[in-house]
Amino acid sequence: MAPRVDKRASLADAVRLVPDRAHLALCGFAISRNAVSFAHELIRAGRSHLRLTQVVGGLETDLLVAAGLVERLTYGGGSLDRFGPLAAVNRAALAGRLELFEYSALALSLRLHAGAMGLPYLPTLSMLGSDLLEPLLASGAVRLDRDPFTHSPCLLLAPLHPDIAVVQVDRADRAGNCTIEGPVWSIPETVRASRAVVAVCEEMVEVGDLDPARVTIPGEYVTAVALGPRGAHPTAMFGRYDYDRKHLELYEQAALSGEDANREYLDRWVLGVPDERAYLASVVG
Amino acid sequence: MSMSRPLRAPQLGASAGSWTRGEMMAVAGSHQVRADDVVVVGLGLPQVAALLARHTHAPEVSLLLEAGIFGTAPREPAMGVADPRLWAGASAFGSLLEILGVMLHGGRVSLGMLGALQVDQWGSINTTQLPSDSGSVRRFNGSGGGNDVASHAGRTVIVMAHQARKFVSDLDFVTSPGHRVAGVRRGQLGLRGEGPCAIVTDRAVISLGPDGAELTAVHRGEDAELVVRDTPIPLSFPPAGTAVTEAPTELELELIRNELDPLGWYTR
Repeated sequence: MAPRVDKRASLADAVRLVPDRAHLALCGFAISRNAVSFAHELIRAGRSHLRLTQVVGGLETDLLVAAGLVERLTYGGGSLDRFGPLAAVNRAALAGRLELFEYSALALSLRLHAGAMGLPYLPTLSMLGSDLLEPLLASGAVRLDRDPFTHSPCLLLAPLHPDIAVVQVDRADRAGNCTIEGPVWSIPETVRASRAVVAVCEEMVEVGDLDPARVTIPGEYVTAVALGPRGAHPTAMFGRYDYDRKHLELYEQAALSGEDANREYLDRWVLGVPDERAYLASVVG
Repeated sequence: MSMSRPLRAPQLGASAGSWTRGEMMAVAGSHQVRADDVVVVGLGLPQVAALLARHTHAPEVSLLLEAGIFGTAPREPAMGVADPRLWAGASAFGSLLEILGVMLHGGRVSLGMLGALQVDQWGSINTTQLPSDSGSVRRFNGSGGGNDVASHAGRTVIVMAHQARKFVSDLDFVTSPGHRVAGVRRGQLGLRGEGPCAIVTDRAVISLGPDGAELTAVHRGEDAELVVRDTPIPLSFPPAGTAVTEAPTELELELIRNELDPLGWYTR
């Protein structure tokens, strides 16, 4: 018998799961698989003092920071690949408007993995000797110690528990089972560490239609599923659609030009359109 | 443009008689790859150098990308490590935790190829921030998997454009440690792997070891004295003198121009 649980929600409903001051984990990677439609809806709804976590920062993070929703970013660095840096993130950090905690990508993934498993901490040999350490030691999230077996130096990483993770997936059913095509970078531990998970899917299928061997995120982890085809635009979805080169260039040019141009971009493409259907109609027809 | 600079390569199909500095850098970078290496490839020029090695002397080399890609074999140039074009032809997909955790932290990666904004004589890398001309700070991409690669790979090769301001004795930010940080050797810091073995630039090959940096070779057409002037870190010289890098072969240039970087994003 098919499960009666139905986690389907509209994008607008899913956005309501993220209150002001929430710790939001994002699952995009530079110019791939960003939950852009979700970020747009969040910007339209208006939020403040969000804390973001993203293992490798991408467009969704830059958009949320550009819109002024974010007060803290915990990340492993990031960029828009050759399109350019995370210009809004860098500007906000330098202006003192954004508190930044930078890790190596592996160390941050391990913090999430520890969170997912309920571990008290995980040790690593990454980041030793680097200047990444000092602010992280001061924050209390990492601690220099010695391996109790060999007595060599190692770094202890505190677990990370975001309030809610948002991920753009390929296919999902109403029970929340999701498939992701291609590489999954840090998505598995990011969603498993989070107390709630919103999946925005390209396609909604019937329960039982997904091959269990290809379910990347079992429904047990998922709180809500929203249908959002082309929701990663202008970033790429592997095997489904390419990044929109022109639009990424247009965004990056605005973001690099300064706060006013960045704000004008948001006014034109996010706040100036009523919803994602209108946004996508204006950019992809 | 200085007289020592090789002629800028004309359009596709140019003869092997001329090449750009970027092409030379990709070729010299590819020569650092051994046939049996397991490589984690970083963003930018390292992509071209690693793929060139796979197309020439190292057809069985295993190329890994931090997003979770085993055995990448792309057929089109890519805008970076997050461009799905770079993932095409992969043998397997996994996670970042598998590539950087199991493969790299687990000691299975023999070579890391990284870019850099700034390096010191110990091969420590800054990819996080630089002072700007106005005295404030400019922020860049940060670590990504760069710190992890530098911390755990068997050896690392740094591939970057050769500019005097990029070689410093005191990094503005140590994103990824080399042989020593603030006088402390990497082993004492708890790091494994041999550390960085070379900086390959568009003008020279600088070997790195626990005792410092050596100007091993300058590329054909470069004046060694000018290269030394533009490398303001302590440098030693091989007993037999600094060598001259072999010229790129016609095949190498053809591969770069026609297959690996036809639009010249990285090498022109």
